[in-house]
Amino acid sequence: MRILRWWRYPGNWPIFRFDDRLLLILMAVIVGIFSGLSSVVLNRSLLIMSEWLHRYQHFWWFFALPAAGAALSSLFLEKVVREGAGHGVPEVIYSVSRYGGLLRLRSSVTRLVSSCLTIGSGGSAGPEAPVVISGAAIGSNIAKYFSLNDRQRVALVGCGAGGAIASIFNAPIAGMVFAVEVIVGEWKSVNIVPIAIASVAGAEICRLLQGNQIPFGHHVFKIDFLNIVASLGLAVLSAAATILQTRMLRSMHTISHKVPAPMWVRAAIGGCMVGIIGLYLPVVLGEGYHWTEILIEGRYGQILTIVALASFAKIAATALTLGWGGSGGIFAPCLVIGSLVGVTYHHLLVLFWPSISWVNEGYYALLGMAGLISGMLQAPLTGIFLIVEITGGWQVIVPLIIVSVVTTTICHYFEPASYYLKDLVDHGHLLRPGTDERILSDLNVTELLEQDCVTVHPSMLLRDFVDIIKHSHRNYFPVEDEKTGDFLGIVHLDDIRPYLFDPVMYDTVFLGQIMRTQVEVVHPDDDVLDVVRKMDVKGLYSIPVVVNHKYLGLISKATILDQYRKELMVQCHLL
Amino acid sequence: MKLTINEVAQSLRVPVSTVDRWIRQGRIPIQRTDNGYLVDESTLEKWAKMYKLPFSLPKKASDAKRQTPPDNLLPAMKRGGLLYNIKGDDRETALKNAVDNIHFLSDNIKDAMYQGLLEREHLTSTGVGKGVAIPHPRTPLKDLISNAIIATCFLAVPVDFHAIDGRPVFVMFILLSPSTKSHLHLLSRLSFCIRENAFVDFLKTTPDSTTFFSKIADFENRFAIGDRN
Repeated sequence: MRILRWWRYPGNWPIFRFDDRLLLILMAVIVGIFSGLSSVVLNRSLLIMSEWLHRYQHFWWFFALPAAGAALSSLFLEKVVREGAGHGVPEVIYSVSRYGGLLRLRSSVTRLVSSCLTIGSGGSAGPEAPVVISGAAIGSNIAKYFSLNDRQRVALVGCGAGGAIASIFNAPIAGMVFAVEVIVGEWKSVNIVPIAIASVAGAEICRLLQGNQIPFGHHVFKIDFLNIVASLGLAVLSAAATILQTRMLRSMHTISHKVPAPMWVRAAIGGCMVGIIGLYLPVVLGEGYHWTEILIEGRYGQILTIVALASFAKIAATALTLGWGGSGGIFAPCLVIGSLVGVTYHHLLVLFWPSISWVNEGYYALLGMAGLISGMLQAPLTGIFLIVEITGGWQVIVPLIIVSVVTTTICHYFEPASYYLKDLVDHGHLLRPGTDERILSDLNVTELLEQDCVTVHPSMLLRDFVDIIKHSHRNYFPVEDEKTGDFLGIVHLDDIRPYLFDPVMYDTVFLGQIMRTQVEVVHPDDDVLDVVRKMDVKGLYSIPVVVNHKYLGLISKATILDQYRKELMVQCHLL
Repeated sequence: MKLTINEVAQSLRVPVSTVDRWIRQGRIPIQRTDNGYLVDESTLEKWAKMYKLPFSLPKKASDAKRQTPPDNLLPAMKRGGLLYNIKGDDRETALKNAVDNIHFLSDNIKDAMYQGLLEREHLTSTGVGKGVAIPHPRTPLKDLISNAIIATCFLAVPVDFHAIDGRPVFVMFILLSPSTKSHLHLLSRLSFCIRENAFVDFLKTTPDSTTFFSKIADFENRFAIGDRN
């Protein structure tokens, strides 16, 4: 038993007590390996499913397959494992900022299964968000098993996410940047080091099991100045596509919620529509890695109208899949849309300026992908590094940066919150480290409670009260019922100041007559953020804490400032 | 030295629940084991310094400076003693003679003291009425004396003190205190006594020291009862 317990507390081993960063590095390797494995599993099963379904592609009823897949995945999530639909990344971000990265163990499997059903059957969604959830849940639960603290757990959740992305794309840098930029939101070495290690471990596992291959092959482009300038136009186009995709996802979500049908029926309707589009434009089906590859190599070979139509169709199919209740991420669809937009742009360039020698369409497909990813996630670094790594295209880094940054900037103007953060921002749940909301959400009412107020009774004479004032330090005197002890109101020194020096009043005035009864009170479980807001709105300096009609203590702005400062110092130290 | 979690909270001047949360969140270098906490004082101190947090170990109950309550009337009056038959035709000479007669003050202090008392008199009279005056310097004599002193001086003839009720003063309580706190404490008690007409009448009889001190002891008992309630 003893050895078991010792094993569960690696934080107390002499070697790790010396420096817990070593512990995190070890844990990061473990988490990276497991999240890498989970992404390999999903990747393999998607391959098997798509090969299996490929046989039925030419039948007329093929359009029903995505419907069946989406319905099954929705049923699975809703009835079997009871988890919410959607891609789940916002939940991970919220858990990281609010609950120290606590995630359920089952989350490490559920999304894999549901997204496999959705995508494998032809739904337009990506496997990245599911593996990110899976990796994050693995990290969280490993941290829980070894009794690590919240900070370490958050780092391991980031490790899981980073390892998953690194593994699914065979792109360690992109995994690391994604985890830090999107999931953790804090560029500190305590996070970056373990996440980098986990990303490397995840990528290594992927290479070990699937071979070291760059997903979309390596291409050499000869880029001149004109092509770099032209990338600016692509940035505008991809920003437009991003905004269209974001708005469409949201409107589809709203529309689908108006349909009076169970979740799984809605998912089936969405899947069915995707299937119908897929009959005419097969490029919209599935996660589309295969199509991305074709587009980058410039083998798509369709005319401008078809390519432009395909871009719209993919945007619509993604919105139909995810907005109507299918399960999966936005990453892979973004890559397909981006490359379609890029190819469209190339066709447009050739159409308007046929005499100029443009680089082939693969170059613009790459840039479009970077633009869509950066715009959608509002994470320019993730976009840049992901594209560079998955295409091996280091020589296009300059236009890549231009497109990523310009697209992000334009998108940020129209959609200030990214796809992942939109819901969180709407609910006030985005609590990035070092922000006011984060500090206040970490504090709780009991920590701020002051209990040095003297309580009084309503039947007390002013004369007795004057004696109490002599011995008290505070200006507030909560009034309690003599018999029940219930909180009735509060007497502020200001209320009795005019009568304080008038001995005639001493024996004629009862506190019950002068106490304030309409008092704002808070509950110990209230969020400090709400408490502070209440104080701001009503212009209060102190507010009594009451539970079950019993007075518990007082919260004052002075104490809040004191605690707030200490919290800020502890949380936002620049090391 | 091993610190308890309560001592850590006191050292950092935060509630225990905050320390508990910091440990859970991994913000403070304290490890939780299955049967308690591992706290290393020097690590903690270094950590607090790095984060610029206030950190001072709580003083042990034994070496903590006990808050000594300020002196009461009786000891202060015993220290000052009673002076009878102080001569003088006006406020200044009466004060001068009284200060000269206070035996425990050295000569160079006496002069400064007299100046201090006079200065205070010029602001407003310390004659509080009913023929009583409580002369005192304006600032506490922190460096000169360690305990409060009240010298009770009965004048040979009542003198005009520009008192608030205009009556000539026949007795002076020269109040010298090391701190403002003890000054206010003694002043408050002294004025309580003087408010009683019986006490003033008793003073008019120029009592000897034994009866005077027993009278003051009676007052002290009453104060003690009042404090307890």
